[in-house]
Amino acid sequence: MAKYTLSWHSVTLTPVANAAAFTDSGYGFFLQGGSGTMQCKVSEVYIGGEATASSVIIGKFARDSTVAATSIGAGTLFNALNDGSATAPGTIAVFGQVSTTKPQRSATLHLGDLSFNAFGASGRLWANPGEEWTTIGNTASLGEVSFSAFTGSGAGPVGGTVKYEVV
Amino acid sequence: MRSHRAAEGAILLDHRNNEGVPDEIMVAQGLPAGAGRGLFEAATYNCSHCQFTVVINPLRNRDRAYCAKCDHLICDECGARKAAGADCVPWKKVVDDALEAATQAQQRSIILSV
Repeated sequence: MAKYTLSWHSVTLTPVANAAAFTDSGYGFFLQGGSGTMQCKVSEVYIGGEATASSVIIGKFARDSTVAATSIGAGTLFNALNDGSATAPGTIAVFGQVSTTKPQRSATLHLGDLSFNAFGASGRLWANPGEEWTTIGNTASLGEVSFSAFTGSGAGPVGGTVKYEVV
Repeated sequence: MRSHRAAEGAILLDHRNNEGVPDEIMVAQGLPAGAGRGLFEAATYNCSHCQFTVVINPLRNRDRAYCAKCDHLICDECGARKAAGADCVPWKKVVDDALEAATQAQQRSIILSV
């Protein structure tokens, strides 16, 4: 199926606790299935620091216990097919940094920790083919993943890239 | 026979150009001490029960949690649950069950709307 790259830049992170509403444009991204049966397989998460002074990011790649809904906006996100000659599926994944109902990071379903200093450092997580992080459908808690800053984190700013496949 | 290493992913943290992250923060996040300094690259595996990314610390002496039913390494938390008697529910089964339920719900709604 179709493989995509979702990227963003210049996001000043707003640290939030688990099960607390994210702040619009204060987190990297959320990625949600575009239908009740869509699977998105995330194979790579990359975050790069853009800060001009030391800023320790406590980054969480995690599932969301409340999924984004209503008036979803992409913010600084760009979503592109990896293969220029590929045909996009009829329904694509839902992604964004802005919404009326804000995503909330699950208190238990964390998928990976990316802590790094945003003053010029970077962090990258890869999954082995066949072992990708998967969203199922578009409802909590399996239907959405996000990258956000945990309580105590610096603000960044940061940019990043997510590689995923719509199945 | 498939090796467990064939399922490994990787983590890369590059702090070569700044002062990095103190060990107490990295350890609190489940990363090895020293991971916040210089170039840190390590193999990872995804728990087959919950998909959590486990960074393989080469200095660890304790056994990794392993589920013989799904023949996969699992995270310490799922390992503790398994040791306490929890059943093996591989993530692939969770995916299958969720898709089956969603498909059945769709079919029911189509039948009811006819």
